[in-house]
Amino acid sequence: MSPAAQTELFDSLRLELRRGCLVVAVLAQLRQEHYGYTLRKSLVEAGLEIEESTLYPLLRRLETQGLLTSQWREEDKRNKRFYRLSAEGEVVLGQLLDEWRGINRAVERILGAATSHERKTDGEES
Amino acid sequence: MELLERYLQAVGEHLPASSRQDTIAELRTNLLAEMEGREEELGRPLTEDEAAKILEAHGMPIMVAARYRPQHSLISPALFPIYWYTLRKSFPLLVLAYVVVEGMRIVVQGQPLSELPAALAHFWSIALIYWAIITLGFAIFEYLQQTQHTKFALPHWSVRDLPKLERTEKAPSLIHDIADVIVSIGGVLWLLAVPNHPYLILGPGAKFAHQMPFALAPQWHVFYWQLMAVFIAMATLKGLTLSPGLRPHRDWLKLGSQALGIGIPLIMLQLKPFFVPNAGSTQTVQSLAVINTGIALGLKIAVAVAGVKLLWDLWQLVRRRTGRQPGFAAIW
Repeated sequence: MSPAAQTELFDSLRLELRRGCLVVAVLAQLRQEHYGYTLRKSLVEAGLEIEESTLYPLLRRLETQGLLTSQWREEDKRNKRFYRLSAEGEVVLGQLLDEWRGINRAVERILGAATSHERKTDGEES
Repeated sequence: MELLERYLQAVGEHLPASSRQDTIAELRTNLLAEMEGREEELGRPLTEDEAAKILEAHGMPIMVAARYRPQHSLISPALFPIYWYTLRKSFPLLVLAYVVVEGMRIVVQGQPLSELPAALAHFWSIALIYWAIITLGFAIFEYLQQTQHTKFALPHWSVRDLPKLERTEKAPSLIHDIADVIVSIGGVLWLLAVPNHPYLILGPGAKFAHQMPFALAPQWHVFYWQLMAVFIAMATLKGLTLSPGLRPHRDWLKLGSQALGIGIPLIMLQLKPFFVPNAGSTQTVQSLAVINTGIALGLKIAVAVAGVKLLWDLWQLVRRRTGRQPGFAAIW
């Protein structure tokens, strides 16, 4: 596989991996009220880069799905749309976090098993 | 801030009217905050270039607007396998129906075979219309699903209803191919010998051939060598299948030989009449006309049948080479 094709494949798989995680992160972050810009800033500060053009439409979609509520309010002499996790969003976030932790534990176990098998094989060889 | 307003205007052009104002207002707030955040970092107002960079990084207006719209697809990924399966399964039927209809038209209406290329060229417009109709049907179905919020459900199926295991195809037998080549070469030699030794085709009746009231048309001498060339080319292609280097292309070579085979009745059709009356036997002229017409009709039917068979074999070969999708077919 050429380096360009490998990069393209990695980008595509990375996008798939990130897609669901971003929704979980956004829902989790919106347990506290934010408007678009501060939400993005807080996600970046937490180590999760996300493009504005991805985040802002995502907020609209999650609101349409009933997972977020929004409110226009004036702050610093400017009208801003603040988002917050809805009651329904709270329930779904809990379910998603359980699922995410389960997957995480399973992947860690798989990686741990693979590492110990490698060590065992190395020990036998030496 | 003119740049920002121009950008927002461009995004707004691609947004639905019902949510345009609200979306643009929110986008303006966020982009302004983004710019102010950058100004805070730099400790000075942004230059026009810096503002332009922020907006350009946000994305092309049409793409940004598209992300605010509900995701639409002409045919969704869930429905696409069914759409593709329908096209794949029905296309050979379309080809068959077209060949039958056109073949009948050529045979019954006595259309010259020179119209065959035009008929083949016309097929692609028929195929395009057919594809458009199927695609439109699925697109309407998809639209109704999205607007009526009905979910497409696969029909019930059971693993026990799946077809029995297919036997893996045997590798083509080399002995069979050698025999085929020997028979073809024998056929060529036999045809080469026939003009000088008519008993090879007429048997003991050859002695009385000159007494018959009709004889082969003189054009046979011209077309005979064209026919021989086709037979020799067919035998050569079959012979090439024995070459180890060309063995992987055996099926294509066989198909080429089969295609050449259609040339035999096509060449024969060029030499009407096939039989002419011998001098002094004027009474047989009418009977010979009927015989010649009958032979021509038989040859036309042979061309049509061989053409359909060739297309079918080609289709099967392409399917084998491109691979199949086992299991899916079984539920329909």
